[in-house]
Amino acid sequence: MKRVLTYVVSICVLLFLWEMASVAVNAINHAALLPGPFNALSQVVKNANTLQRNFWASAWRLILAILIALAAGVPLGLVVGREPVFDRYLSPIIYITYPIPQVALILFLFVVFGIGSATKVAMVALVLFYQILVSARGAAKNIPEEHIISVRAAGASRWQIYWHVVIPASLPDILTSVRVSIGLGIAFLYIAETNAALGNGLGGYINKHMLFQRDRAFAGIIALALLGLILYLAVDGLERILCRWKYVARRSR
Amino acid sequence: MIEVRSLTIDYGTPSAAVRAVETVDFTLEQGKSLALIGPSGCGKTTILFALAGLLTPTAGRVTIDDTPVTGPRRDVALILQNAGLLPWKTVWQNANLSLLLSHDYPRRTADAVLDELGLEEVKDRFPAELSEGMKRRVGIARALSTSPTVMLMDEPLASLDTLTRERIQDLFLMLWEEHRFSLVIVTHDIAEAAFLGQKIIVLTPRPARVKARIDNPKLGSLEYRQTPEFARTVRLLREELER
Repeated sequence: MKRVLTYVVSICVLLFLWEMASVAVNAINHAALLPGPFNALSQVVKNANTLQRNFWASAWRLILAILIALAAGVPLGLVVGREPVFDRYLSPIIYITYPIPQVALILFLFVVFGIGSATKVAMVALVLFYQILVSARGAAKNIPEEHIISVRAAGASRWQIYWHVVIPASLPDILTSVRVSIGLGIAFLYIAETNAALGNGLGGYINKHMLFQRDRAFAGIIALALLGLILYLAVDGLERILCRWKYVARRSR
Repeated sequence: MIEVRSLTIDYGTPSAAVRAVETVDFTLEQGKSLALIGPSGCGKTTILFALAGLLTPTAGRVTIDDTPVTGPRRDVALILQNAGLLPWKTVWQNANLSLLLSHDYPRRTADAVLDELGLEEVKDRFPAELSEGMKRRVGIARALSTSPTVMLMDEPLASLDTLTRERIQDLFLMLWEEHRFSLVIVTHDIAEAAFLGQKIIVLTPRPARVKARIDNPKLGSLEYRQTPEFARTVRLLREELER
């Protein structure tokens, strides 16, 4: 309950700052450049149906991209982090390709996947894949050796070492990288959706209205922020279930 | 019976090897106890890991009941420094790690052990919720859950306060007398070696070589710490370590 209250207070503060900024910007420019939060919110209500359609289109692309990035990045990151042979040969490849701005590949992706959802999902998944891969590798590398030794001494197989030690030990770091991925994913999804504004999606919606119907565009931004918040809370909830031991430790301190 | 013959262990690559253990010999009859004592970082833990089958000797031989040790064995239990508990597993899961890894261990032993060590009430808690002394007891429960014939301990009581340390040493002694496993304990604590080791081997700084062997046959009661024999063993050990 207290948590809900702090969210309400934070949102009120944010809306207040936004209103102030809007009043200031519009007074300086003598024009309605930055719509206030209440105009934008009233557009959210008026365009509820359209926004909802665009919201779901963006939401499933983002969620699918995160899942693909997790499915590819986590196993690879853990194996590279734990197995010296993989580390030796794959880490150089990772570090050569990691700094390339993946967004530079967006035109190439359009050529490969067409201008539909596949390109947008692929773009976001590619960015998040690196994010998650590097986190998973780091987490797997930093596992205290005593944890590994204690299960090896109890006769664990290689697979059991992963299941009982490597995966649970890396999970908090992986979930942190998913949190970072939500913000990053939304940013890149926006880029991908505005580059090919075909079909639904909040990126296209915002872009379309930014010039002449800014209150609508800002309604789209609110929806995008809401998407981030929902996913963020979902990851928090997931962590409370999957990493219960961490929360118990915090409580007992 | 545990037999260690000319045990030599190098770390690193063959071209840049660092010798950790050099030609160490000892035998330990079933049900007896042995303490390996030496300065920190001398290679005592390496010897213990060779007994546990966690690393392969560079030269020499380790056998338990006439079988060469080639990997972890079911009848050998290892207690690590700081108990080696997994923070994401509950007390019950930590104590029953062997059962989780291989389902053919009898479940009843583990439950009985938890009860015996007074851990029944905290079995659903996580390690972070336990005191240091309790964590060590979970580590002991894990080791006992497989009914081992050999118990290996790697400085199991490091970083405990004196009273808790003595209480758990008392517990070790009682469990050793009750279960009659062979006990090999690695320590840098003189009193601990004198209280728990019927045979005590003093090791040199790295690489670990046998510097002295001291017999300490009178141990076995909780009052041993107050006897002249205990004081004599402690004095001998101190002299050997300082020599």
